Amino acid sequence: MSFTFKGGVHPPANKEFSDRKNVEYMPPPQTVYIPLSQHIGKPAKAIVAVGDKVAEGQKIGEADGFVSVPVFSSVCGTVKAVENRATAFGKCKHIVIERSSDEEAPAAFRFPPLDSRDGASILRRIQESGIVGMGGAGFPVHVKLSPKEKIDKFIINAAECEPYITCDYRIMLEYTEQFLRGALYMAKTVGLDKAIVGIESNKTDAADFVSRVAKEKGYNVEVAVLKTKYPQGAEKQLIYAMTGRVVKAGGLPSGVGVIVSNVHTALSVALAVEDGQPLYKRIMTVTGDAVEEPKNFWCFTGTTYDDAVNFCGGAKTGEDAPVKCLNGGPMMGVSVSDETIACTRTTSCILLLGKKSAFTGNSMPCINCGKCASACPMKLMPMYIDSYMRTGDLKGAVKYGAKYCIGCGCCAYVCPAKRPLLQSIKLAKKKSMEAKL
Amino acid sequence: MKENLFVSVSPHITEAKNSVGRIMTDVLISLCPVVVAAVFFFGYGVMINIAVAVGACIGFELLYDAGVRGKFKKGYFKNASIKDGSAAVTGVILALNFPTFLKVDAWDLNIYRANINFPTTADILFSFDTVIMLIVASAFAIVVVKMLFGGIGKNFVNPAAAGRVFAFMTVSLAAVQTIGLGLDASTGATWLSGSTGGVSGSVLLNMFIGNTGSAAVGETCAIAIIIGFIYLVVRKVIDFRLPLVIVGSTFVFALLLSGITGLVSGEMASAEDVFSNALAHVLSGGLLFGAVYMATDYATSPNTPLGRAIFGIGIALITVLIRVFASAPEGMSFAILIMNIVAPLIDRYIYPKPFGYEKPEKKKKEKEEAAA
Repeated sequence: MSFTFKGGVHPPANKEFSDRKNVEYMPPPQTVYIPLSQHIGKPAKAIVAVGDKVAEGQKIGEADGFVSVPVFSSVCGTVKAVENRATAFGKCKHIVIERSSDEEAPAAFRFPPLDSRDGASILRRIQESGIVGMGGAGFPVHVKLSPKEKIDKFIINAAECEPYITCDYRIMLEYTEQFLRGALYMAKTVGLDKAIVGIESNKTDAADFVSRVAKEKGYNVEVAVLKTKYPQGAEKQLIYAMTGRVVKAGGLPSGVGVIVSNVHTALSVALAVEDGQPLYKRIMTVTGDAVEEPKNFWCFTGTTYDDAVNFCGGAKTGEDAPVKCLNGGPMMGVSVSDETIACTRTTSCILLLGKKSAFTGNSMPCINCGKCASACPMKLMPMYIDSYMRTGDLKGAVKYGAKYCIGCGCCAYVCPAKRPLLQSIKLAKKKSMEAKL
Repeated sequence: MKENLFVSVSPHITEAKNSVGRIMTDVLISLCPVVVAAVFFFGYGVMINIAVAVGACIGFELLYDAGVRGKFKKGYFKNASIKDGSAAVTGVILALNFPTFLKVDAWDLNIYRANINFPTTADILFSFDTVIMLIVASAFAIVVVKMLFGGIGKNFVNPAAAGRVFAFMTVSLAAVQTIGLGLDASTGATWLSGSTGGVSGSVLLNMFIGNTGSAAVGETCAIAIIIGFIYLVVRKVIDFRLPLVIVGSTFVFALLLSGITGLVSGEMASAEDVFSNALAHVLSGGLLFGAVYMATDYATSPNTPLGRAIFGIGIALITVLIRVFASAPEGMSFAILIMNIVAPLIDRYIYPKPFGYEKPEKKKKEKEEAAA
């Protein structure tokens, strides 16, 4: 184990905004807008109609195929509309539910307890609970846990290398046992009885705590402390740092016998297996220098960004007013212009950046310094991909590895000329996939 | 919160301290010890040279923008390309690449310390010839080499090296007569233009300190250049390996080439001579200065460590070849220019393979399919 990888950058962590804030409970909002596509794969099919009464945790969208997951109502109330709305990643169908008063609310829906906790029934429970990778990608977990290859290592990615975000850190401190049990449940589905948790060295308190709890409770969990560097939590880099195995470019981790999952995913699996709770709420961090009171809290899917931010005291005004609203962290997050977008299962963070911290300036000509190439954890040549894309030469861009980009943003972060390198690379990646180069 | 939200592709933060302006400032700071050493050994005329060269470089860049691009409008200075500081860096490096005082004085415009009949270089306060050559070199460096090819980052060769070579080639009479002013005039002309034999320890020490009495002002003091090099490496402006590769391989090539020719011709008798000769090659001429400040120019050096190593070895080989077999003192400048032109070719063939990349094994698959 080398505990690190080549390349990468050291952005300021900025976790102090919310890393000492206990996980709170947000009161359910009056109206929720639940997207039917909160995952990678086919969107779910709506199984409710306008006017239907739904309970908390009731299934409102059916999985459409294997690479798809069901969607659940996060509040109890009446379906007001099924309409197309914007998400952070595009447009999809949303189910709009207006919450009814608490007195008439039926009990929240729960799956019946599992008869036996063997791999197959856990996997079935994961699938019916609609659990997806909650680090941000949203890949259906039951698909990930059904690999063709033999798996010999199960890794929990607790690096949380993105600046600002603290939800995984808080889970490790406050829901330690549950998340460790969830990790072991997931390991069980691929025939393993051990999980390895990789934590960055700037969260040694969490690493110590997790290993102590694991020891006390007798869980077969190993904790590995990794070097603090962005993107330590990128799947391929994490696997290399923890096992020394190199995932084939364009390939999946299961190709080298490894499966990586996120901390929150493990917690959700534990809740689904033990309590029968479907996935309709998650712990989220609302932070940034433009938020009055940064918090970590349980957020119901479908809550608008506005409601979530207002729960945290709202956005600052005047000099510190936000100039960027991000879904995710500052390095890979998606910036949104519309605050009525709804939180999903994969929204780990809503980040409001003021003009002091967000970059909104102009770029200069490339001076060919090569800093982007030495920062790239995938060993690409961002400056050439950028210049080739600007001249419209897709083949040239592919030659320098555009399609292997993991989108970490290290290149644009270190660029002294502040060039939007990642923009060109993402374009190159998309176009090369369309052109099948 | 809804108004004025800025939307862009990630990442949404950038390294605050890292900018083109900061890099250029760092280069200027790292040049300070070299300038101080030059002033110490050659007098304050160095400062005049630097002022002229920097002024000329900035002026030509402004004029180019104004005339050719037609941008000289209101608010132009706010976004002027000179603000990145690269023109100033070119100016300083150019001035340090020139001897202080040229003694041609064709137009009788030099200013001397006293009204004497046969002034030597030691009596020159202001050399009109140097100024003219610097302006010619600045014009070539900025307009032809840099701006015509697209400005910062697009120059095809190092502007300072090209400006120096251009000026010395076109005004070659002046180049022949370059004699500087040192504390100890006894060392005489540049070591490179004369002796090929062994070099004594005291001469080597003088070369290291910079007390050689001639040659370009910035190139003589090895100590100052090494201080500047360390600063640049600490500030992560340059790749420390490139200058080391150049210096190391120059030493090896000098040991081999200069040593063999010297032994064959009988100019060098002992191993000590060969060794001191190779050491003198490293310390003399523009080698150290070029290795640290000119070869490391971002735009004209390859972008991969391996590419840079090849680039550095090429510079060292060409420098030694020119020095030993053509006995021209400007070997380093030519070597840098030649390798600058080769750099894109190096980058074309040497680039890293993506992490985890495997060559698609077409033949194997075809065989397997055939077997199946």
